[in-house]
Amino acid sequence: MPADLEVDTVVVGSGPAGATTARVAAENGARVLLVEKKQELGAPVQCSGAVSSHALAEAGVPVNDEFVSTPIHGFVTYESTGESVTVDYRGERDEALGYVVDRRRFDRYLMTMAERQDVTVWLKTEARGYARRPDGNVDVNLSRFGEPVTVRARVIVGADGLQSQVGKWAGLRTHIRLAELASCLQYVVDGVETNGLLEIVTGHRWAPGGYAWLFPKGHGYAEVGLGVARTMTKDDARTHLKRFMRDSFLADRLADARILEIQGGGVPLAAPLKRQVADNVLLVGDAARHVNPITGGGIHTALRGGLIAGRTLAKLISERIQPTAENLSRYHQEWMAELGAAMWKLYGVKADIFSRRTSLEDRDRRLFGTLASYFRPDSEYRKI
Amino acid sequence: MNARAVEFSVNWDACIRCGACVAVCPHDAGFTTAFDTIAVDTACDIACMFCEQVCPVTAITSRHAEP
Repeated sequence: MPADLEVDTVVVGSGPAGATTARVAAENGARVLLVEKKQELGAPVQCSGAVSSHALAEAGVPVNDEFVSTPIHGFVTYESTGESVTVDYRGERDEALGYVVDRRRFDRYLMTMAERQDVTVWLKTEARGYARRPDGNVDVNLSRFGEPVTVRARVIVGADGLQSQVGKWAGLRTHIRLAELASCLQYVVDGVETNGLLEIVTGHRWAPGGYAWLFPKGHGYAEVGLGVARTMTKDDARTHLKRFMRDSFLADRLADARILEIQGGGVPLAAPLKRQVADNVLLVGDAARHVNPITGGGIHTALRGGLIAGRTLAKLISERIQPTAENLSRYHQEWMAELGAAMWKLYGVKADIFSRRTSLEDRDRRLFGTLASYFRPDSEYRKI
Repeated sequence: MNARAVEFSVNWDACIRCGACVAVCPHDAGFTTAFDTIAVDTACDIACMFCEQVCPVTAITSRHAEP
């Protein structure tokens, strides 16, 4: 069957990782098709939207009112009792440390940046599978508004999130252990005061295997949420969140909370995938588990992974190198050098804290200590 | 068929379409619905039940599959 379109790369999924991979590959000369199964990006929202200024700068994403919900100036880290450590950068630096973004607008902004680099974008288009061809390329089977379309490409990029199907098609082991997928729920609320700081509440009592948070959302709104490891509790995230809002030391501040939006999902507090490439296939973002295993933050790691993937792909294509697993492993190597090694180290810290050998008291103490020092100006992890 | 095989149901009024159930599912590709959930009304002979457990809003239930 003749292909309906021929490109160098099909990127599946237009989140931060996919859109950045597409944009950077196109900037460097590749012909890119970016497909997204939804009709609008970013929703349902599964993310608090916190991202550092340096992450945006590094990925060449200008700070824009279109997607910024509110600037962030520091952190408060709480023990389960309410004792806390505050790091507030106001007075020391003029510019914001980071932002809470609106993922719907942010994801669309990143897609627009890609489209302006001549990436072809197809919405309402779902990838259904691919077949390798004798010439070393692939035919990617798509369903566009329900109609089958075949696109010939050299490489298919799986930027299709936690539930990545592209990874499974390629035989990569993508499913996450229950113990390492935090089950998260957050409410966007009105009636709760915040002060430009990300507030993080540790303690097995409130969020076993994870933590709870209270973030500013701009316009007088806030986000209150938590993530739990279901191997450590019989209750679901919603039950824990109700308990946290009612019984914790923040209950007074949350007493008038009125829920405007309900958001949630799984956040991998896991190791990155050991294999992120296969013949003609490369994974980025959540699909490759590029998520900070301590904070659960995934925007920076998605943007950074997208940069590396986009650059590697463009080079491979311009040099006419066969996109075999072996040749694509260049991406994995560069990613390891720039980001991966540090993420593996963080995973070691995380695994140690939540090890079965660690007592609950010790877990609480160490998680608090790790997160409190994580955000200090001199922290070795700040740039991850 | 495995005696432990189960069939899942999703309470669509509770589901927040987050896909966490698919992320922990050890099945091969395709054990999904168009709404980012694990497959429903299809026998699952792994029956690890991780999808039920990871759901933030307990929207997934199961029953033994008909032999």
